Amino acid sequence: MRWGTAKRLFFLAVLVAVSLAAMRLTVPERVRLTPLEAKFRDVMVPVQGGLTWLGRQVQYWLSVPVSMVRAAERNKALEQEVARLEGEVARLNEYMLENQRLSGLLDYKQVMAGSFDLLVASVVARDPTNWFGTMTLNRGFADGVRENMTVLTPQGLVGRVVAVSDYTCEVLLITDPRSGVGSLVQETRIPGIVEGTAGNSGLARIIHIPNDAPVEKGQTVVTSGLGSIFPKGIPVGVITRTWYESSGLFKSAEIRPFAPLYSLEEVFIVTAVRP
Amino acid sequence: MPVFVFLLMVGAAVLLQTTVLEYAAIMGIKPELVMLIAIFNGFLLGAREGAFLGFAGGVIEDLVSGSYIGLNALSCMVAGYLAGSGGERFFKENILVSTGIAFFSAAAGLTANYLLLMHAGIYLPALHAFLRVIFPSAAYTAVLLPLLFGRALRSFQIQGRNS
Repeated sequence: MRWGTAKRLFFLAVLVAVSLAAMRLTVPERVRLTPLEAKFRDVMVPVQGGLTWLGRQVQYWLSVPVSMVRAAERNKALEQEVARLEGEVARLNEYMLENQRLSGLLDYKQVMAGSFDLLVASVVARDPTNWFGTMTLNRGFADGVRENMTVLTPQGLVGRVVAVSDYTCEVLLITDPRSGVGSLVQETRIPGIVEGTAGNSGLARIIHIPNDAPVEKGQTVVTSGLGSIFPKGIPVGVITRTWYESSGLFKSAEIRPFAPLYSLEEVFIVTAVRP
Repeated sequence: MPVFVFLLMVGAAVLLQTTVLEYAAIMGIKPELVMLIAIFNGFLLGAREGAFLGFAGGVIEDLVSGSYIGLNALSCMVAGYLAGSGGERFFKENILVSTGIAFFSAAAGLTANYLLLMHAGIYLPALHAFLRVIFPSAAYTAVLLPLLFGRALRSFQIQGRNS
């Protein structure tokens, strides 16, 4: 054996022995590091930390374009999903509100079945100006609607039918200046005519009430049924204000209708009144 | 303005006024879109054309609404004429001035409307009519002029200056 070969074998044996010894010393169950190992780790920590940070940065920047594409796709999909769900929530809310309104109408219809024949109609259009208060309903001759039929809601009087086509009818609201409703104050039985002021105001008034008549704020006005096309006893509104007319002989009263005239969606048309 | 465009604008205005504008009403007041179109045309084309197109638009509104034929026609005509006259006399490129002219034109048109209602036998308390209908409605209508037609108005004036 040559001297060189023997030297290489010796180093290999030493290396194997050291390695085996090192393995022996570094079994997993051990609790303490060897002083050399501990020193090495302490020295290497900043370097390792720096390299780890660098690796993360590289990985991040390399993956950004890919993740951006994925994120954009995901974002788009989520936005579409949110929009769809928002639409669905709005639709369900609409169904819920419609259901509540229709339940109310159905209850009223059943309660009033002994007095009136009622036909449900939906509001499809309004008067374009601010002066008049009219609205168009989706019921006409074909549904048995005729002129001068009373229109109401469970809350109170809405108006009367003034024009009819085959499938629509026009309703003159009680706040229209052309409207007049024979009424009386429920508590005191003082009669009067409820007139509209202007279509948009949402208010009506009773004029020419005798000065000494006990008419006050908060009293209820109902239809009188006397010489009128409106059936008796339908709630019209509540008196919100009274004042003396300029002549000094009479006073007037302002009335806020019970029916929400400017947010109506469904109403009843009284097609027949039972005696 | 081409007849087709004008009819389209008036048709859309009436359709909006009878449906969705109810939801844009403030204290029950909605803007007078047909009158606004008359005022816009008055600014663009002058008093005579403004009056004529206002009348035409008002007639369409009257026919569609089933109201007194001529009521809105005359009031829009007044508004269109006054907007045209005001636009010719005053510096209308200033947004505040044009809005002011629009307000006075709309108020005059609505006052004409009020007088015509009296003529038709419909009496409204004057204070109520002016405070609850005429002034608020004119203000709402005038405010919409720069919002809806401001750009068109400006571009037309620039074209006019360059030509």
